[in-house]
This record gives sequence, C-alpha cells and structure tokens, in this order.
Amino acid sequence: MVLEKKSSIRVAEAGQRRVLDEATRQRRLNRQLDALEKDNFQDDPLSSLPPSGPAARLPAFSEGDEPGKKKRKTRGDHFKQRFRKNFQTLLEEENLSEREEPNYLSAAASPSSLPPRVFCSVCGFPSPYTCCSCGGRYCSTRCLQTHRETRCLKMTL
Amino acid sequence: MTTLVLDNGAYSAKIGYSHDKVSIIQNCQFRSKTSRLKTFTANQLDEIKDRSGLFYILPFQKGYLVNWDVQRKVWDHLFGKDMFKVDFADTSVVITEPYFNFTSIQESMNEILFEEYQFQAALRINAGSLSAHRYFHENSQELCCIVVDSGFSFTHIVPYCRGKKMKDGICRINVGGKLLTNHLKEIISYRQLHVMDETHVINQVKEDVCYVSQDFYKDMDIAQLKGEDNTVMRDYVLPDFSSIKKGFCKPREEMIFTGKYKSGEQILRLTNERFAVPEMLFHPSDIGIQEMGIPEALVHSINNMPEEMQPHFYKNIVLTGGNTLFPGFRDRVYKQIRSLAPNDFQVSVVLPPNPISYPWEGGKLLAENPDFDEMVVTREDYEENGHFICEEKFDI
Ligand SMILES: Nc1ncnc2c1ncn2[C@@H]1O[C@H](COP(=O)(O)OP(=O)(O)O)[C@@H](O)[C@H]1O
Ligand SMILES: [Mg+2]
Repeated sequence: MVLEKKSSIRVAEAGQRRVLDEATRQRRLNRQLDALEKDNFQDDPLSSLPPSGPAARLPAFSEGDEPGKKKRKTRGDHFKQRFRKNFQTLLEEENLSEREEPNYLSAAASPSSLPPRVFCSVCGFPSPYTCCSCGGRYCSTRCLQTHRETRCLKMTL
Repeated sequence: MTTLVLDNGAYSAKIGYSHDKVSIIQNCQFRSKTSRLKTFTANQLDEIKDRSGLFYILPFQKGYLVNWDVQRKVWDHLFGKDMFKVDFADTSVVITEPYFNFTSIQESMNEILFEEYQFQAALRINAGSLSAHRYFHENSQELCCIVVDSGFSFTHIVPYCRGKKMKDGICRINVGGKLLTNHLKEIISYRQLHVMDETHVINQVKEDVCYVSQDFYKDMDIAQLKGEDNTVMRDYVLPDFSSIKKGFCKPREEMIFTGKYKSGEQILRLTNERFAVPEMLFHPSDIGIQEMGIPEALVHSINNMPEEMQPHFYKNIVLTGGNTLFPGFRDRVYKQIRSLAPNDFQVSVVLPPNPISYPWEGGKLLAENPDFDEMVVTREDYEENGHFICEEKFDI
C-alpha cells in the first residue's frame, strides 16, 4: 500500500531511535486507560494545607473533618473494615472466575468484530501512519514532530 | 406510611417521595480552592461560587459503592432536615444498586438501611429493572424490552422478559460519562489548554457541545475544513466565575474564524472533539478498550436470548441514563441496529423524555403498585432473618 511505503521512508531515521517493545506499549496503554478512571488529577485542597502527609490525602476517611457535627455511631472495628474495601479487593473476594452463573466478569462486553479505526494522537483526525518508536499514530509530518517532542519516548512509563 | 424512591447513581442521586416529584442531586462531596477547610456535600455545591479546580470525593469506584463515609454524609444530608426530612419510623425506601453488586456491599446496604437509618421496609433493586417496570407500565401489550443504561461509570444492556431480568443477556461496556469527560479533558489539555484539574468545567463543555455523529468520517472531513465551511467547529467561552458564571458556545454569527477575539475571554476551539468523544460509546476500541460498542452489544445480547423472543427485543429498545442525552444518540443507535437486525424485524428505539429520571419514575410506579408490600423486606423481617431474607427477596 502507498501509505505504508510513505511511512517506511522514516525507517532509516527510526533505526537510530529507541523502539518500545510490545510490553511497554501495552503498559503505556493501560496507564492511559487507568488515568481515565481517576476522580481528580490535582491534590486535595485540604491536604495541601499543613499538616500534610499521606494521611491527609485520604479526606474521606478523616474522622472529624467537620468539628461540632455529631457523628452517627457505627459498630465495631470489623464493621469499619468492611466499609473500607476498594473495588479490586471486593472483586477478588467474590471469586468470580470459579462461578458458573452470569456475573460481573462474564458480563463484560466482548471485543468488537469491527475493524479497528486509527486516529492521529495529536490532532484526532484519521491517521494512516504509525510511529516506529512507540506505535502511536500520526497524520502528518507536523503532527509527527509534535508527537516526538511531547510524547513518544518522552512519556514517563 | 410513605415511600422514598432513591436511584442512587454514581454521579447523581435521583430522589423523591413516591407521591411527589424527583430531584436530581450530585452524589458526592466537593472541596474548593477558595474554602479549603470546608467539605461541601451534594447540592451544597451551590454555595461554591468559583468552581474552577473543584475537587471531587466520590462514593463510587468503577460503578460500585466503596466509600461509605462519603455515601453516608450524602445520605445524611439528603434524608436530613435541609432536604427530605425523612421520618424513618414511617418510611419505606426503594433504592437502586448496580448489576452484580458485590455481596459485601449488599450486606453493608442492609445494615445501613435497617440498622443505622432504621427504615421500616426496603426494596433493593437495579435501576434498569425500574426502567423496565416503567416501560411495561406504559406499553402493557409488549412482552419484552431491552434496557440500555448509559450512566457515569459504565453502560449496561439488559434484556427483560415479562418483567423478569434475563441475566444471560446482561452486557457491560466499560464506557460511561466519567470516562468521556476525562478523555475530553485529556485531549483538550494536550491540544490547547491545560484543563486536567477542571472536571466540573469540562463536564459542562461535554454536555454543551458534544454530539453523536450520524456519519463519522463525513463529520471528520467537515471538521478539517478551514473557516466558515467548518460547520462542526465551535468556540466555547469558558466561565471565569466572576462575570461569566457558566460557559457557553459563541453564537455562530459572532465567531471569528481567523484571528483572535478582542474580548479577552478564554476560549476553547472544538472540532473533532465534539463527536469523537461520544464516539467511545459506539467504538470503545478507538481509545484501546477492546469491547463492543452499544449497537453491537445490543445485537450480541439479543442473540443470547431464545429465538422466539428476539423480534420482541428489537422493537422495544429503551435508552436511559445521562449519556443518551447527547444529540443524535437515539438516531445513531436506531440506524446501526436497523442495519444489523434481520430485515423483516421491526426496530424501535425509544428515548424517553427524561432518560435520567426514567428509573426513578419506575420506582415511583412500583411503590404505588399493589404488589409492592410483597416485594419489600420489612425491618422486622430483617431483624428476625438477617441478610438471608434480603438475599431471598431481592434480585440484584
Ligand atoms: N445533556 C447531557 N449530555 C451528555 N451527557 C450528559 C447530559 N446530562 C448528563 N450527562 C452525563 O450523564 C452522566 C450521569 O448520568 P446518570 O444516568 O445520572 O448516571 P448515574 O446513574 O451513574 O449517576 C454524567 O457523566 C453526565 O455528565
Ligand atoms: Mg444510573
């Protein structure tokens, strides 16, 4: 295909560039997908006040963040424990992979049978070319340049 | 005895007494740069004038209730004197939970409803089941329906036959409004302006300017055009929370296609973002999530159902949840289903007037249903039989 040929012009140049292996590319993708689940990217305004430290980063669990308000009594420690499990812990506890009946894991949509579509990682328009170093997509030399200057091998892994 | 109906979504609580109307209130807490020591709960958001850099504390993670401290603060506020003034000794509750809710969350739910708040009776149910109830109520001649619930955390597709949930057909796509907003934040931050801390603002941008394309590659072509020919392009004026309280799109006639605006407001220029973001619901693989999109998943789910039921599902597709409000959403689903379904099947895709509160409306109807008393677990039942009775009665 013509398009592939075009991108192979850059192979010579790419020879000198570091090339990310498949595992690294997958890690990078997973990290991007994890970021899309985040609640916040900034720090909690409260924890950026002194005293700071890891404990202050857990705003939701602080005991008396609104002094003066009476707190509903909760039961013993075991109760508290159960109320602090995160999603991953809860999921593992359910032992779903051993279950026969439909469950959280089995309900996940299977992969699409439609052909994948590709877009320039810089401008978002359809893109025929793949970056030899990182596997990212680009649509023009201009976007390739931006890609190399900002992402590509520069992204922390 | 009154009944409080609470569709407890990961983004918003849809709440109201069954004899009254619904209120939609954010189900989370906030902290703001301007008053760092205070934590704002649910609609106390209204007290925050400057909503830039708003920090969210959410009770849900991946669609499941994990942060009970936050959830209880929100519920205390909703049930309390400032809002619904719940008289627990005289109130039953209908409350929703996600599909396949984890056992330990279900048990915590029982404890909190019966032991802490001491509701007189409770019905725990999936929001989609309430939607199906609402749908069958209005379309009593129909045997089946298939509910699409596209909310904050994910999208579920769930077939119901004569009111019964068909578990084999349940399909979850891990794309919801949260991911769309975060993705929009991410691409805007990379392409023009750092907005990673502006979830609140960009969520509003999403709701104001994004739409579902009817012809994706054609819109891509238009979005690349220069000047006035680019009918996709919008300039969005960001709020500064002093003179501009809420962001908005520049009216077309005021848009300046080349050069800068003199007025000095902060502008986001949106082109392919407008439709490429909601497109994740139709092609999750566009961002590397290897899952089917909504139309494909609908067909897949229907194909898992007994053959004689299949035509009934195709003509009773119901869209619910906030993402279905993107302009073009219904038409796109219809168009794709029409092309995927067997030719001789009738296809009907219904977008209710208020897809966000549709499950709540179903809960309201259910609470007024003569069978309602049979469906709940009373506090007495629970005190006698514990979690067991809830497990028996509720279909989560
Ligand atoms: N008009 C709209 N257009 C697009 N998305 C919307 C609109 N209104 C609400 N949403 C999105 O819908 C999601 C919330 O939907 P909802 O069904 O209430 O979810 P949940 O039940 O999970 O709380 C949010 O991500 C919100 O941004
Ligand atoms: Mg919901």
